[in-house]
Amino acid sequence: MPQIEFINVSKEYEPGKKVLDDVTFKVEPGEFMFVVGPSGAGKSTIIKLLTKEEMPEGGDILFNGESVLNISKDSVPGLRRKIGVVFQDFRLLESKTVFDNVAVALEVADSNLEEIRSIVPNVLNMVGLTDKMFKYPKQLSGGEKQKVAIARALAHEPDVILADEPTGMIDPDSVDDVLEVLEKINSLGTTILMATHDQEIVNAMKKRVLRIERGQVVSDKKGGKYRA
Amino acid sequence: MSNIKKEKLLSVSNILIMTVTFVLLGLLINVVVFSQTALRYLEDQAQVTVFFKDDFNEAKINELKDSLSKDKRVSELVYVSKEDALRIFREINKDEPVLLESVSASILPASLEVRAGKISNLKPLAEELKIIDGVEEVRYFEDVVSRFKFWSTVVYIIGTLLVLVFLVVSYSVVIAALRATINSKGVEFEIMKIVGASDDYVKVPLIHHGVFFGLFSSFIASVLMIILGVVITLTNVFPRGLGIGFLPGVFVAPWVFSIILTFILLLSGFLLGYLGSSAAIKKYLNY
Repeated sequence: MPQIEFINVSKEYEPGKKVLDDVTFKVEPGEFMFVVGPSGAGKSTIIKLLTKEEMPEGGDILFNGESVLNISKDSVPGLRRKIGVVFQDFRLLESKTVFDNVAVALEVADSNLEEIRSIVPNVLNMVGLTDKMFKYPKQLSGGEKQKVAIARALAHEPDVILADEPTGMIDPDSVDDVLEVLEKINSLGTTILMATHDQEIVNAMKKRVLRIERGQVVSDKKGGKYRA
Repeated sequence: MSNIKKEKLLSVSNILIMTVTFVLLGLLINVVVFSQTALRYLEDQAQVTVFFKDDFNEAKINELKDSLSKDKRVSELVYVSKEDALRIFREINKDEPVLLESVSASILPASLEVRAGKISNLKPLAEELKIIDGVEEVRYFEDVVSRFKFWSTVVYIIGTLLVLVFLVVSYSVVIAALRATINSKGVEFEIMKIVGASDDYVKVPLIHHGVFFGLFSSFIASVLMIILGVVITLTNVFPRGLGIGFLPGVFVAPWVFSIILTFILLLSGFLLGYLGSSAAIKKYLNY
């Protein structure tokens, strides 16, 4: 059973202007897939639809075989705990330490202090930030901030990590570090769906590439390449 | 100015506005209860006094008294004989011996004080008594009571309008305060939602925030009302206590009433905070 399935999905934010037009694709468990395309192609919309931040005008979206569209409002938090999201702008809380930024994900799920104290150092260790646990975001580099965001996304041990342009705001030297962490997570069985328009990264990683242009899937190749 | 300072200033001004609302609400309720108590006192005192001609002797007066005592509109009858009238006159004018010397019981009229259960019955009773042969004069103070009623009503209406205006202002203040909080914590709320926070996890602290504003402001107003209640108790302005409008014949000590008022104010504070914050969450967080 595919982990993620988009079936003829259409989405428009304004009447008549389709951001996604009849998009269909599947992602198997444990896959690493790039969603590529120019800005405004609809990459971020795919992530928002999957986390039920947005609703499509047509089609269906399945996650682990269950329609996301039919999930009740009360079940949306549960869905979001199975899907970790990483953003280009990190979305960290500047007033909280690295530890606390990761802990937020557990606190909202009513985890107790013991669980938080055990899980947070583990995920920070996985992304290589154990020594920065009590630093504040402003004391970190762009790459480190993104790793904190990845650690936060990992806190619930999600089935999938959705990364929306995760290397877009970090210095070139840190890009490899972040990709390395994502590959490591993927190797442990977590599905990764990464939206990007960085052709160097896509071509270097040699993963499945789903190309979207003007809201439509124009190609879907394993070990594919991308030329912007 | 830093955000924290701005937030503190905003919170203080919000609490001040809401405190004014609850003080006004407390004062309005007090004014209503005080005026009702005073009105009841006036109504109790309101009576028709029938003065008789000299030829209308005591036997005839007693006959009239008997027939009036069967009248359901009459609650109490007091006969004041010429001698009683002289005694009262002497008591009132005890410091004026010249005046006392010139007055004897024979020149003072006997009278009958007629009290009605309902103040509205005074006028028809007075009209009926006026036309009885042997009645010299009928006096009653309808004007005092009706004027007091009129001004009490005016005070209720103005006070209620004022309280309603301030309630609307306070409701808006709660919404504005939470709007500021929601704006300043927008990223935090967004992150919470992304990482799987339930609606309640985001909403409940904001509801607490609004309820805190309401309860804290109403608590300050309640303390002021308790002080007012203690002062009124100590000064003995209402010796019988305060009349509770919807419970006829029930009087409570002013300090007891101020405790009842405290509960009313705290409940109002809670409701205002809860409803205001719920509205703000719905409006600005799309919940």
